[in-house]
Amino acid sequence: MAGPDLVKTGVAGLDDILPGGIPRGNVILVEGAIGAGKTTMGVEFVYRGASQFNEPGIIVVFEVSPDKIMRDALGLGWNLSELEQQRKLKIVFTTRDVLRQELQQADSVLLEEAAKIGARRIFIDGVGRLVGSNGTAESRSTFHVLTEGLQRENLTALLAVEASSPDGSASTSLPEESIADTVIRLRMEETQRAVSRSLEVVKSRGQDFQMGRHSFRIIDGKGIQVYRRVQAPRKPTRDRAAAFDPKTRLPSGIPGLDDLLNGGYFVGSTTVVAGISGVGKSVMALQFIAEGARRGERSLMLSLDEQVEQIMRNAASVGIDLKGPIESGLIVLEYEPPQEIEVDAHFHHIEQLVKNFQPKRVVIDSLSTYGSSLGTRGRIFRDFFHALVALMKENQIVAVYNHENPEMLGMNSMMGDFAMSSLVDNIILMNWIELGDSFRLGLTVGKMRANPVDRVTHECEIVDGHGMRVLPRALPIPKKPFSSYGGLVSRAPERRSVPSRRQSKNRSPDESLQ
Amino acid sequence: MPVIPCCPGFLHRATLENTISTSSNDRQRPEELRGLLARLSVIRNGCDLDLLVFLYRHPRILLTNEQIATFVGYDMKQVAQSLEKFMERGLLERTQNPMHAARMYLLELSGPQNGGFKTLLELASTRLGRHEILQILNPDRPDREESTQRLRLVINACA
Repeated sequence: MAGPDLVKTGVAGLDDILPGGIPRGNVILVEGAIGAGKTTMGVEFVYRGASQFNEPGIIVVFEVSPDKIMRDALGLGWNLSELEQQRKLKIVFTTRDVLRQELQQADSVLLEEAAKIGARRIFIDGVGRLVGSNGTAESRSTFHVLTEGLQRENLTALLAVEASSPDGSASTSLPEESIADTVIRLRMEETQRAVSRSLEVVKSRGQDFQMGRHSFRIIDGKGIQVYRRVQAPRKPTRDRAAAFDPKTRLPSGIPGLDDLLNGGYFVGSTTVVAGISGVGKSVMALQFIAEGARRGERSLMLSLDEQVEQIMRNAASVGIDLKGPIESGLIVLEYEPPQEIEVDAHFHHIEQLVKNFQPKRVVIDSLSTYGSSLGTRGRIFRDFFHALVALMKENQIVAVYNHENPEMLGMNSMMGDFAMSSLVDNIILMNWIELGDSFRLGLTVGKMRANPVDRVTHECEIVDGHGMRVLPRALPIPKKPFSSYGGLVSRAPERRSVPSRRQSKNRSPDESLQ
Repeated sequence: MPVIPCCPGFLHRATLENTISTSSNDRQRPEELRGLLARLSVIRNGCDLDLLVFLYRHPRILLTNEQIATFVGYDMKQVAQSLEKFMERGLLERTQNPMHAARMYLLELSGPQNGGFKTLLELASTRLGRHEILQILNPDRPDREESTQRLRLVINACA
């Protein structure tokens, strides 16, 4: 049996949520409050059909004049006038009464106009008042007659209807929802004084679709871009990717560190470098990507904290020239401002960067900045980080994330407020160690999956023009047995004093054990 | 666009809509408009003009004559006469089903014989342009528009 005939909407990202498009002939209801984007979506649906898929279409409007539709469409880069001249699109201004009568008649003038250009799509803006909003049997019946009329001509119809509240929180659903085959709900949600747009496929007969609220934007010169919500499952391979290459390592680029990392980071691994501001996390990140460039590997650095020019200046101060690798296409530096970061759009941007640039190494600076925007303990941040880790593993990327642990001297936890250490393969801890009257820099490999780790603090130094290096230990690591200490579990271990041989001989066996 | 000296030391560029011009070029404009209207010949009164502007903004409509009359603000008889004129001139195509009151109208401005209409309609789509054309079509029409514009200039000059 052949698969369903699907109509691609052409709206960027929407056909990913409705896998491949919408079954032809479905009546699509798009509902939302004023300004939610219903008209834009409807016009784009017809425009894309006419311009990209050779499916002419009709736009029916009751209140907005067609010249304004055309003017606004031009702002989005859509030349409707040109398509009209090519007889691929028609915009019809009419009234609801006329339309209702037309669609009840088999010999409709409107549908005859549609047939003249071979129209396959129709958008009707403001259907709700066509059928009445009181939810009575009569209004449902009117809507039903409307849909029957459209289906008689085998048109895939997108109908816009106004919802009662901006965030779609109205408890009662619209009566038209039960008759329509596909229902898409557009929302404008307020989040800490910002407003973000989201789209939800509430139902779609004859097909599976990705449920939940997905963000979208209306972009000048382009149209609507839908960003699949970050929690939505991606390809099955993304979850299995960790098994692709279990052996290859990439060097860190920091002298002395690879000895502690058993040779470097595993391909596909996730590393968090945690430490207070100023310990050298960004310097380590720059050396990591510079090492990649030296080896001919592509590296991506995404910063939420510093502009690209500042990163390049900082790199120059430690003797790293990024200009050459950037010009040769080996390194991409990106800055994204953290204010009002929209997680679905941001993740989509990272996905596109990874897909188009195909880096071997990625640095994200920093996780704590995401946390201040999204909250480190919320579900959204956890899902976002989970999706990032899965994306990097699928593409066998060595990913390093800087994370600011705000504790200056000593750490109560490895990653502070970031309660997702279980998702991370490697954790490198950095902190100031106060010795005498000076602060010296210490580094500990706190975790490294599938590798032996000595968890010994090593001293580091950052030298102007040279970057960071891990200093070799001059003295061997003393291995005292646990019995030499007291209070090990109490977080305040103390060395026991060791008795002299004479004291040991004079003690009873019981005293010796204390 | 004409540059209008508004008051000493301040030069601003006025839009077509808000210009009351004193330059010699723009004194010729009413004459140019008269010439254009004479060439186009089908625009004889306010209903013709306003209906054509409405059709320009809504090139394809499916409406009853009564609805059209309501939208443009003239009585049905005048609107019907204007529509017939436009169809005879080839500016308008009509598709109808005798069983339906609503008719599909399509404005056709392409073609060399319809050159000049777009210029006229662009001008008529502005408030002042419409006023100027209506003054030519109906010289007895009271000139409320010009009085309002002069008053506005005086207020701006004093501000």
